[in-house]
Amino acid sequence: MSTPENQPNGEPETPGMSRRSFLRNSAVFATGLAAMAASLRPLFETTDFPSSEQFLQKYYKELNPEEMQKVLTRIEGEVERQYGIRPHVRDYKPMDGVEYVYCLNLTRCIGCRKCVHACVAENNQSRDPEIQYIRVLRMPHGSLDIEKAEHNYAPEQVPEKGYFYMPVQCQQCHNPPCVKVCPVHATWQETDGITVVDYNWCIGCRYCEAACPYWARRFNFTKPSIPKDRINPEMSYLGNRPRMKGVMEKCHFCIQRTRAGRYPACLEVCPAGARKFGNILDPESEVSRILKTKRVFIQLKEEMGTSPRFFYYFDV
Amino acid sequence: MKPDPKIRAVHFVLAAVFALLAAYFFFSTSTAVPSRAKIDLVDKSFLNTATWRKSYADLVREKEDLSDFDCYGCHEKGTPPTLRFDADQKLIIPSEHKDIVMGHGTHGRNNNCFNCHNENNLEVLSARDGREIKFSESPKLCGSCHGPTYRDWEAGVHGRTSGYWDRSKGPIDRKLCVNCHDPHSPHFPGRKPAPGPHPLRDQPVAHIELESHP
Repeated sequence: MSTPENQPNGEPETPGMSRRSFLRNSAVFATGLAAMAASLRPLFETTDFPSSEQFLQKYYKELNPEEMQKVLTRIEGEVERQYGIRPHVRDYKPMDGVEYVYCLNLTRCIGCRKCVHACVAENNQSRDPEIQYIRVLRMPHGSLDIEKAEHNYAPEQVPEKGYFYMPVQCQQCHNPPCVKVCPVHATWQETDGITVVDYNWCIGCRYCEAACPYWARRFNFTKPSIPKDRINPEMSYLGNRPRMKGVMEKCHFCIQRTRAGRYPACLEVCPAGARKFGNILDPESEVSRILKTKRVFIQLKEEMGTSPRFFYYFDV
Repeated sequence: MKPDPKIRAVHFVLAAVFALLAAYFFFSTSTAVPSRAKIDLVDKSFLNTATWRKSYADLVREKEDLSDFDCYGCHEKGTPPTLRFDADQKLIIPSEHKDIVMGHGTHGRNNNCFNCHNENNLEVLSARDGREIKFSESPKLCGSCHGPTYRDWEAGVHGRTSGYWDRSKGPIDRKLCVNCHDPHSPHFPGRKPAPGPHPLRDQPVAHIELESHP
């Protein structure tokens, strides 16, 4: 039998594999295999694969009470394994005849940012990398131009002369653009007006983040890191339970507090009393009174047609 | 058909480059997350929900030192203390009360102690119509001048209300005027702000000075 090298054109005349083509094909195959292994390398470094129960969990709205109870118990176990603290996870449902509204007094706000950090502590947000739901904008007196706002201000003392402060967080819109764009219905508006996220159903596409005109949604690019001694063990499914890597989160008016009748954490830490929260359907509530009697100046970016449940007002 | 030797050479070089790249990607550690500035935890004082000041009722409840309210430890009963003013009609604060900063009213014009304190009984306050008001009921006194604010406070609109918005679930905790305002100098003093959003860089972002509108 003649070798391929002896062939006048270097190729076998008969079908079959020559030594040369075998070597060439092997080299191509090995290179391809190595390239695929290299591209899969991050997969081998992943350690936080979801459990099968977590992976196969049903959509929030399809869970019946017994299944929900199982899910909550499982989440308690997961949190205990990861953070070493046995939490108390509950699924709070909206109350009848209640619609939440937030009012913020721009005359009172001094820009101390205590609300930002009280929110982080209450809602188990990642500390490093940092996830914060509230951003306090500093703007010069005499205009309400967001383009001129600054959120990295760091003076010795606040309030500063010639500026006012405007904290911005999720506006809990009547007409939320984030809900419209979600391809998997992982975020929706509840009957009490709170727009919530089912973290287990979110696929992390971040469309909602792009759709929100208030930059109110945050994405977990990595697994959140929360020190054990800063975990808030009172948790809710749609609210402050620790999030996973790759899901969206946002302000939910402290669902674990407000649906139990309490005020949100950002309100209770405000040293100036600038934040007011309550049930707009109750004509005697603080927020009803404010909307009736105060100079309610804006819903932020009113022209977007989102109709926020968050009102900014002034008084004397 | 015999392939062009040039094309074969190109194929060979390309295959070698890809093999080297694959080897590099496989053995390199560049998939590790690049290091970045560590973010410190926020100081717990910024999470404190207590108000700036303690009212008389808070001091009583927490069994704290009430010697500041023991007026007749020094003053004599029945003889109202005399007030002294300097040439500009500014109140001269005696050294015994040097912790008091007077700054109530525009240009500090509310500078007569007995506009609020009762000169005949220093242990109570006195409204403008002469009614005696206990220290624990001080909002009534403040409200005798600041009517609209008092109305808002009663409705829960002025000042902070903590506790339960749903009164059927639990009590509401309403703070008094003096929990936040120093009655001698009610305007809020400045305070240090909590840290802002972390810039995720070692160097802080250069501040862009914005021109203000004319």
